[in-house]
Amino acid sequence: MAGSPVAQARVLAQMALRSLASHKVKSLIVGSIMVFGTALVVVGTSLLDSVEAGMERSIVKSLSGHLQLYDAEAKDDLALFGGTGMGGDDYGEVPDFGEVQRVVQALDGVEAVVPMGLGLANMSRGSELDRALDALRRAVEDGDAAARVALIHRVQRLLELMHADLANSRAITADTTELDANLAHVERAQQDAFWAPFAGDDLAAKRAALDFLDTKVAPAGGDGVQYYLRYLGTDLPLFARVFDRFRIVEGQPVPEGRRGLLMNKRFADSQLKLKVARLLDELHDAATLNDARIADDPALAAKARQARSLYGSLTLMLSPEDAAALTETLRAAFPDVQPTEGQSDLDALMQAALTVDDDTLKARYAFFYEQIAPRVELYPFRVGDVLTLRAFTKRGYMKSVNVKVYGTFEFAGLERSELSGAANLVDLMTFRDLYGQMTEAQQAELKAIQAEVGLERVDRADAEAAFFGGADDSVEKVADGSVFGDFEVARIEREAGTRVADDRPFTREQMLDGVVLNAAVILADGVAVDEAKARVQAAVDAAGLKLKVVDWRAASGVIGQFVLVIRGVLLLAIGIIFIVALVIINNSMLMATLERVREIGTLRAIGAQRRFVMAMVMLETLVLGLLSGGVGAGLGAALVGWMGDVGIPAKNDILVFLFSGPRLHPTVGAGNLLVALVVILVVSLISTWYPARIATRVQPVEAMREA
Amino acid sequence: MSASTAPGAPASGPIVELSAVTKDYPLGKLTVQALRGVDLRIERGEFIAIAGPSGSGKTTLLNLVGCVDVPTAGAVRIEGQSTSELSEKQLTTLRLHKLGFIFQSFNLVGVLDVFQNVELPLLLQGGLTSADRKRRVAEMVDKVGLTPQTRQRPNELSGGQRQRVAIARALVTRPAIVMADEPTANLDSGTGGAIIELMKDINRTDHTTFIFSTHDANVMGHARRLVELVDGRIAADHPVSEAA
Repeated sequence: MAGSPVAQARVLAQMALRSLASHKVKSLIVGSIMVFGTALVVVGTSLLDSVEAGMERSIVKSLSGHLQLYDAEAKDDLALFGGTGMGGDDYGEVPDFGEVQRVVQALDGVEAVVPMGLGLANMSRGSELDRALDALRRAVEDGDAAARVALIHRVQRLLELMHADLANSRAITADTTELDANLAHVERAQQDAFWAPFAGDDLAAKRAALDFLDTKVAPAGGDGVQYYLRYLGTDLPLFARVFDRFRIVEGQPVPEGRRGLLMNKRFADSQLKLKVARLLDELHDAATLNDARIADDPALAAKARQARSLYGSLTLMLSPEDAAALTETLRAAFPDVQPTEGQSDLDALMQAALTVDDDTLKARYAFFYEQIAPRVELYPFRVGDVLTLRAFTKRGYMKSVNVKVYGTFEFAGLERSELSGAANLVDLMTFRDLYGQMTEAQQAELKAIQAEVGLERVDRADAEAAFFGGADDSVEKVADGSVFGDFEVARIEREAGTRVADDRPFTREQMLDGVVLNAAVILADGVAVDEAKARVQAAVDAAGLKLKVVDWRAASGVIGQFVLVIRGVLLLAIGIIFIVALVIINNSMLMATLERVREIGTLRAIGAQRRFVMAMVMLETLVLGLLSGGVGAGLGAALVGWMGDVGIPAKNDILVFLFSGPRLHPTVGAGNLLVALVVILVVSLISTWYPARIATRVQPVEAMREA
Repeated sequence: MSASTAPGAPASGPIVELSAVTKDYPLGKLTVQALRGVDLRIERGEFIAIAGPSGSGKTTLLNLVGCVDVPTAGAVRIEGQSTSELSEKQLTTLRLHKLGFIFQSFNLVGVLDVFQNVELPLLLQGGLTSADRKRRVAEMVDKVGLTPQTRQRPNELSGGQRQRVAIARALVTRPAIVMADEPTANLDSGTGGAIIELMKDINRTDHTTFIFSTHDANVMGHARRLVELVDGRIAADHPVSEAA
């Protein structure tokens, strides 16, 4: 005859509850572990989910869109925030973006399809002397006497420094032939007689002196600085419209149909900005955002020392008027500073202004930006400048493009995130020039030339075979025959004395119908990404386009996997905690079972089957799990709620990106609570299984033993 | 061997029959023979005491009859069914439906109240409606005189009251046999006497067979038949006069 299940369950539940109440210490220990475990799961998964949502916003709304399309035969996986190839990743190409846009844009739920092409360009900036000479030449040509005097003064100061550098080098060099020649050139330029022509009217003599400085002296002063700039070619107006985190900081958007560059503010601040300003920024950020102290942090102390040592780079940049004005301001601020031997008054004062510790940082940082920064070049470019970008084309040749900087931009909420500085923006035509795409006319022209001279096209990949292994030794030297080749740019620069932007306008059709490397798909609100991904893939497949569709997570490369890694770490931590919990619960329950041998024996003697005993022990943990799990989930939810109100500050740039802003305001979902409860119940049942089995093996004869 | 049959009991063979029962226990490398070839017939409705000094095999005998253990050799039959032939699950079912247990230390479930302790075997059995079950429990609690204590837990009761609960729990399923292992050992003589009187009373009215072990001469005097064990063997088996 079977037992009466409902009544049995009722009495079992009652026994479980009362047993828990009567074994208070055991219940308290096991219950506390369960409360802690559940709260941990709730808080951990809520934070992770919030981070994931934040990261999704960061990535989707800044660069990737919800989906990305790229060449199905690409050698590398798309990594919008930088992959492992340092810009050398091969994402294949999408030959005709227009077709892709027509196919994908027609789908339900697709809001926009944005063309894209990533690349890495080199941007060089001449040395201080190069730039001073450039400016002097302009002043001479324009007949600007005041500027000329100031610039001559500047060049002379740079020559002094250069002479000192060369003399130092000479002292530690074995073969001094070249250094001696350079020193001789510098010394000649330092003589008063050398500068005499600048006081007169003989333009030719002035030019001859400048040529001497340009060709003989400046080369000994080094090459200046090279910058690497990651760029994303895109439909700039469309980009600005659909990526709603995008916003112009300075300057203006690139007008429709024009070529131009928008510099990423974060990139400029962290890579291009004047070193001393960057160091001060870092110190200031560390102090204000992370409450870090220079005195406690050797890395910050090193930065402070470095900032102090860079005073010379600032005083050198100053015009004589600015130098005089600043000396006065600085003297008022630092009345007691005395120059050391051989140091100018300004150098000593500047050094004092750049000397920061935890107490002076805030004031000197403000002083720097109020008084010093406006008189120096903080960035190697200004809005409106024309920059020369050099990049290797797809075929492996160096290509230069002159492009105007229209402005700087940032992604709202991610201003401090280094990763949001991953790319600068250029128009699609500039991208194609750097990529090495030819127009039909250019291709036809090239074909004609090739036919004429009997040359053969060789791709970079095949070059070795063509040069060394092939039978035909007549190979093409200039593979990409674009109009604006290196030589032409160089010629224009020489002739004009400055750079001219490639400012050929283009039509919308020209922009759309051509090569891109990838395309972002922006979905309407509420459209499920996975489902849309499948539909887009089906549509491009049906249209015969050989494209791969990936979601934002996959497209963002390593960064997209970041949350998975954190999730893995969290799961591991939770796993370890639960294994410990499991052992403790198991032990406690085992002890409790052993204490109850006589009671269990009695139940068996009066007719309880093993499964009743099993249910009794398991139910006890289950009830405890439910109660503790409920309390733990409540505590966890309260904690997450509190964190959501207060916000968790993002202590570094990666966190800013992951949090999608300076603070994370986590929220707890029903899913988080449910998962936590299920986990804690499963762990409880697993940990009680062994004690319960032991309980079922208690023999009824145990009831007969004397207490 | 003589047996005194309770008046009005059905005359259909012994309710318990032991034939040449031997029970060995391993003790380290040795084997202890707790019972050595015991033959015993107990008829329905008997009120029988098993007596003997410590280690004589009283508890072993009760364990075998109570189906919480099986013999090493020989046969124990309950209503003609040999316990050695039953699986553990069947033995449990047999205990649930045919046997009631009263323990020396009462062995109540501490977390349940009087009513629930008494109700427990009925819940394990199932088959009764909630109302029937409650009525049966209430009757039983009343019979042992604990109606005012129905909602108290064992630790709120005296020893005698606890043993009354145990008796109620043993009888609530209306078993054929009630096994009692030294039911008065933990009670003072007055209370012990009252418990024995209660058992006797139920035996008289319901014809339930009672088998109890004891080494208390007073308690033995209440039995109608006395089986004395010495060294695992039956040394004496005789009726006890009511007057004793």
